[in-house]
Amino acid sequence: MLRRVLIGLAAAAAMALPAAAQDHYVIGLTGAMTGPAAGSLAPAVEGVRLYVERLNAAGGVNGKKVELILQDDAAEPSKAAANVKKLLSQDNVILLINASLSSTYAPMLAEVKRAKVPVLYMGAVCPKDVLPPAADALQFCSTGFAPGYDTRAVLGFVKEVTQEPVRIAFASMAIPISRGELDYAADYAKTLGMTPVDHETIPPPTPDYTPFATKLKDANPNWVFSWAPWVTEVRTVEALRKLGWDGSYIATAHLEAEGELPRVKDPKFYVVGANALFAEDSPTHREVLAAAKAGNAKYPPSLMTEGWLGGMVVEAALRKAGWPADAAKVADALADLKVDTKGLRGGVLEWTKTNHYRTHQYYRVYRWDTDKSAIVRVKDWIPYEVK
Amino acid sequence: MHDSDSPVQLLVNIVVLSAIYALIACGYVLIYRVSRVLNLAHGELMMLGAYILLTVASLFTQNAVAALVAALSLSLAVGLLVYLFLMRKMTGEMVLAAVLTTIALGILLRGLVVLIWSAQQQYPAQALALDNPPIVLPGGARISAFAAILVVATGLIYGALFAFLRFGRWGVRMRAAGQNPLLAAQRGINLHVIYALAWGLSTLTGALAGMLIALDSGLTGTMVTIGLKAFPAALVGGLDSLAGALLGSLIVGTAEVLLVYINPLLSDVVPFLVLIAMLIVRPWGLFGTREELDRV
Repeated sequence: MLRRVLIGLAAAAAMALPAAAQDHYVIGLTGAMTGPAAGSLAPAVEGVRLYVERLNAAGGVNGKKVELILQDDAAEPSKAAANVKKLLSQDNVILLINASLSSTYAPMLAEVKRAKVPVLYMGAVCPKDVLPPAADALQFCSTGFAPGYDTRAVLGFVKEVTQEPVRIAFASMAIPISRGELDYAADYAKTLGMTPVDHETIPPPTPDYTPFATKLKDANPNWVFSWAPWVTEVRTVEALRKLGWDGSYIATAHLEAEGELPRVKDPKFYVVGANALFAEDSPTHREVLAAAKAGNAKYPPSLMTEGWLGGMVVEAALRKAGWPADAAKVADALADLKVDTKGLRGGVLEWTKTNHYRTHQYYRVYRWDTDKSAIVRVKDWIPYEVK
Repeated sequence: MHDSDSPVQLLVNIVVLSAIYALIACGYVLIYRVSRVLNLAHGELMMLGAYILLTVASLFTQNAVAALVAALSLSLAVGLLVYLFLMRKMTGEMVLAAVLTTIALGILLRGLVVLIWSAQQQYPAQALALDNPPIVLPGGARISAFAAILVVATGLIYGALFAFLRFGRWGVRMRAAGQNPLLAAQRGINLHVIYALAWGLSTLTGALAGMLIALDSGLTGTMVTIGLKAFPAALVGGLDSLAGALLGSLIVGTAEVLLVYINPLLSDVVPFLVLIAMLIVRPWGLFGTREELDRV
């Protein structure tokens, strides 16, 4: 009997040992590295991985290395839940990163709340729980795109540059967040004196966008606004151009925009986004390029901005939490944090006790310039205070 | 629809979407007709063909035709190899086991595609330095060059398959193997060669559809879903009938395009709504036979 008890105690001690013996920071990530959403989210995962590798090569944070444990959830809620359970109970992570679809949030949060470990949404859509004035104590978001504010920036720009009356149509993907944002945009457009003429909701796996583009064109808009995953945004504008529509098209500047604008070569295709494009060639952009090259990255560096920013947040939070750090210290650090985005965004990414989204959101507008054969900035940072 | 071009454009949209579904659906029919196996990895094999084109495009940047021929040849080889190394083992086993094997194959291919080519959006046309200009048709309707090629290719493929199955020596053997494999084998027809040919041709036509869709609008892993949406078209027509696949595709394509004007969200599920309606009214499909239903 005694022997059994001793063996049991030894086994328990062995299981507890990794946590007690950790001489470095351990953070975990569950992300859509494969599956239907991987095109947008897998590069973000690679971005944060490269950032952490570079950080460790430079000595880590507070003299300690950072271990980033990556788990693929393929954007499936059940896999995300299993990943989080493993990261929290076996790996004892002090910070969890979610780079997946919003459908993974609920099962993940059930585990997170139990373990009281903070979550950073990176490249994934920000949930309402991070918004002021009642941000959840454990949830934080660094993702660039932002429902509500994106629409205000886009429609504000449209109003500013258009002399004639604006007849605007909307193209969303058949997912709740995209449809909801453009329903809001249609209402908001009316307050700006614009006339909404159509709203097409396009299913994600559509083999041919032309039927939807035909209906949009028939509504005779002079602007079309799309707030959707990039595939819907770009295929809709290409289908409209194929049909001979020559109005102006404006969409969210997802990270894919950098590589796609030179392919589409459309001077009336505007993209509005919170991240500076690599066309700006800032020192930080050059750092990302160098890290991607050194790390033999699978994805183009232009797709890694969200991941790189996530890395900046991790570094700043761990630095502030000090050593030794636990989940509570990291959560406290995140709740009062200013991250210098070093030119990747329009200003600092700042979180407070009541606002885990950001205190200010900034937007730039870009388009393709045929004469210069390059992406050009059409409008510099437009700031919005997040209340 | 105040625009006078719209009725013609509507017709063109229906033809293009129906052609996409038809080109994919004939692959389902070819394998089912010969071996009674539902190939649920057809969408993945179609996608694989498009990625093969992307890969060979880097070798044939200046010669798109050579790239297409090479990619089609490799796709044919993939189909033959799938039969040789995987489906051959299923011969004589329960059909359900073969169908489950195709599901496993599909999962494997989806994973491999992400591992090899990543999950980002790809453009084979750009890799081949090909333009995709719109073509203005009589009546003012427009169609992209690759969509036009897809429509023509679908017509040619169906014409060739009809002729092959009706008049070709191997085509007649395929029909014989499909109707009565035991008798066909007793008459000296090598069933393994016939089945391998069916898998090869099915993968070839599916890959061609994948390549043309990718050339027209780009390529991601979500192409698999397009393959799945073509499956109801084959079922509606009757799984053992090429003419049925053609008509089924036209029905599904027409319903999908027209429903965009009623409720765009319905257009996504319409292939499956049409399928359910058909299963209630005529479960064996438009051109299928009752006899086949038992085997389904």
